Amino acid sequence: MNDQPVRVAQLSCGPEHSGVQKEIYDAAEMVNAEMFFPDVTLKDITEAYQEFGLEAKSGDLKLAIARAKALVEGSVEADAVFIATCFRCSEAAIVRNELRRYIHNNSDLPVVSYSFTERTTSGTLLTRMEALTTIARRRALLAREVQEGITLGIDSGSSTTKAVVMKDNEIVGTGWTPTTEVLGSAKSVMESALEEAGIKLSEIDAVGTTGYGRYLIGNQLKADLIQEELTVNSKGAVYLADRQKGEATVIDIGGMDNKAISVQDGIPGTFTMGGICAGASGRFLEMTAKRLGIDITELGPLAMGGDSSVVPMNSYCIVFGTQSLVNALAEGHTKQDVAAAACRSVAEQVFEQQLQEVEIKEPVIMVGGTSLIQGLVNEMGKLLQTDIIVPHHSQYIGSVGSALLASGFIDNKDR
Amino acid sequence: MAKVFIYPSTSLILSDMVERFGHQPLGAAVAVREKIQTPGLDSPPMQMTPEDPKKGLKYAAVEVPAGVRGRMALFGPMIDEAEAAIIINDADLSFGCMGCSRTNELVKYLVRTREDIPVLDLNYPSDEEEGIQFVTNIKGFLDSLNMPEDESESMDNSGGEE
Amino acid sequence: MPPDKQYIPEFVGTVTKYVFVESPDVTPQMLVTAAYEISEGVMIKETCFGLQITGMPGEVSEIITELRKLDPPHIFVKDRGYPPGDTRRCRANLGGARPGYYGHEFEIGLVRYISKGLEKLGTEDNKYNYNPENTLTEKKKLPAEELVKIINSEVS
Repeated sequence: MNDQPVRVAQLSCGPEHSGVQKEIYDAAEMVNAEMFFPDVTLKDITEAYQEFGLEAKSGDLKLAIARAKALVEGSVEADAVFIATCFRCSEAAIVRNELRRYIHNNSDLPVVSYSFTERTTSGTLLTRMEALTTIARRRALLAREVQEGITLGIDSGSSTTKAVVMKDNEIVGTGWTPTTEVLGSAKSVMESALEEAGIKLSEIDAVGTTGYGRYLIGNQLKADLIQEELTVNSKGAVYLADRQKGEATVIDIGGMDNKAISVQDGIPGTFTMGGICAGASGRFLEMTAKRLGIDITELGPLAMGGDSSVVPMNSYCIVFGTQSLVNALAEGHTKQDVAAAACRSVAEQVFEQQLQEVEIKEPVIMVGGTSLIQGLVNEMGKLLQTDIIVPHHSQYIGSVGSALLASGFIDNKDR
Repeated sequence: MAKVFIYPSTSLILSDMVERFGHQPLGAAVAVREKIQTPGLDSPPMQMTPEDPKKGLKYAAVEVPAGVRGRMALFGPMIDEAEAAIIINDADLSFGCMGCSRTNELVKYLVRTREDIPVLDLNYPSDEEEGIQFVTNIKGFLDSLNMPEDESESMDNSGGEE
Repeated sequence: MPPDKQYIPEFVGTVTKYVFVESPDVTPQMLVTAAYEISEGVMIKETCFGLQITGMPGEVSEIITELRKLDPPHIFVKDRGYPPGDTRRCRANLGGARPGYYGHEFEIGLVRYISKGLEKLGTEDNKYNYNPENTLTEKKKLPAEELVKIINSEVS
């Protein structure tokens, strides 16, 4: 990376005293970003704090408010904003949310907010930091709306690995397999997608990779684009849903973590990526299907025939949540009701834990493998009181986004 | 010479007063210096690591945010060690180590529950008259720490209880 | 992930002290000159409020005792955790001031009252006595406006 470092303004309370500041610095360094603290005076702090009108008591939160105002008013320049406060601090959560909203509504700066514990590592922060810098650094690339030439996109997720081959703005081949050995799984889906497309690897003009295994696979294939899934998936979502202009909200409930992204013209504005609780993940639905003795693909239709309200689900935890299901079955509830309750539980947790942190703007687009579970989409739609769009090939979202964005590199090659 | 815990512990004024009148201020800088001068895993800027919030568990339970527990790892041992304390109650514009209001509430509470040490409560002065009163109070309080035990006891009793 | 690095501290066993001056008679520059004259190799660094001294505790203490003599009610001393110019706390590296700076900025706006108190200590026209039962001043009205005024006068 020879680019100038992306300058990320940090608004925070607590990371220095939690041993997390170094992790923030490390994550930033890995993506050639530079953290800085917007310079304000004591006068700015007292004035900004009074003008903003949120009566926070903590000095560092007052300071964060003043720094946010300096960014919005343009007295301090930045490329992106990172807001970080302690997990479980309600005062900080209120300030964090309001600052994120304030910056999003009053500037073009991409914002990510995060609540950390002392266990937060640079690895956890990396994807978020990478997305922030991508939005700041690659606006031109992210503006791409049409796929050109022949490109391959591979998405190496925590649960499944997917590939698509695209040609002249059409998906011509796909591959899907549960993730086992990262490179092996990638090779397998790549071969399936190429075979279905009737295209040889040598004919591919550009390759893009995303997901957990993106670096390993990307380096192996000498990929043109190695990109985190937040920007790739939001791009893929608006592309497949044909909502490339204007506002949208993208929800991707993954096997290990969830993404909620507020998008403007295909570019993420604010986003969150959860991953603290497995109860709010696709993995919980997999366990439910297993317990019900059905394939995960049958869970959605089953849930559609049930009533989620009759089965109590009072746990955030994947283990105790499953126990609730077992109890419900023992009490004589139908499989349909239990399947619906599991979908309801995941939707509720994502709604409570993450969707509060982004602006929900219609249309809401659900993507990723879990978007094929109609019961889940249905429960989420009920919670958000909107009709959710699930685009075609939504389970291949990362691969499609990668293939689309990778085609931006074709012109730069000697061919 | 007494070890005097100061609040806000980043206070220039209190640190100066305590030292000027012959005692040892226990403030954030002293705790941070110890961190900065101790070898270990590199963790800029303060050399605080995830171990510090764990040390803070002595003062606050695990559901208390990491930033509070980390700060308590700095302040807690100083409160334990203190022989006296001075608290400025309206220290609203303090940042960094003092930047968390929840920590500050706990710090003040823990100082007050140390019933075996004298505590001086003050507000920041907002004019010259209050400045004179402020300094007189600090000087009087710090001087009382120097007195031999029997004398200081008799002074405590001179408050009009008899 | 970058590998964990070992941290090897510098200036172990030293202390660093800020010396602030807020005086009609003594400028920060005069303070620095005086400090250099008696420093004997102890590290002195000029700052906008005064200076920082780094050395072994005894040496630093001696210099501070001497410096205070220049203008006792208007010179204020405070411990600092970091040695001077430490990149972890340097404004040039952070982009903005370290958090502690604002606390100093606030208190520097008030030290004129402290100076007055120090001048009046032990004088006959000091009508105040230390009464342990009554040390909290009644807060006057408009402290916020007063504060902004103080800050404005300090900043401009």
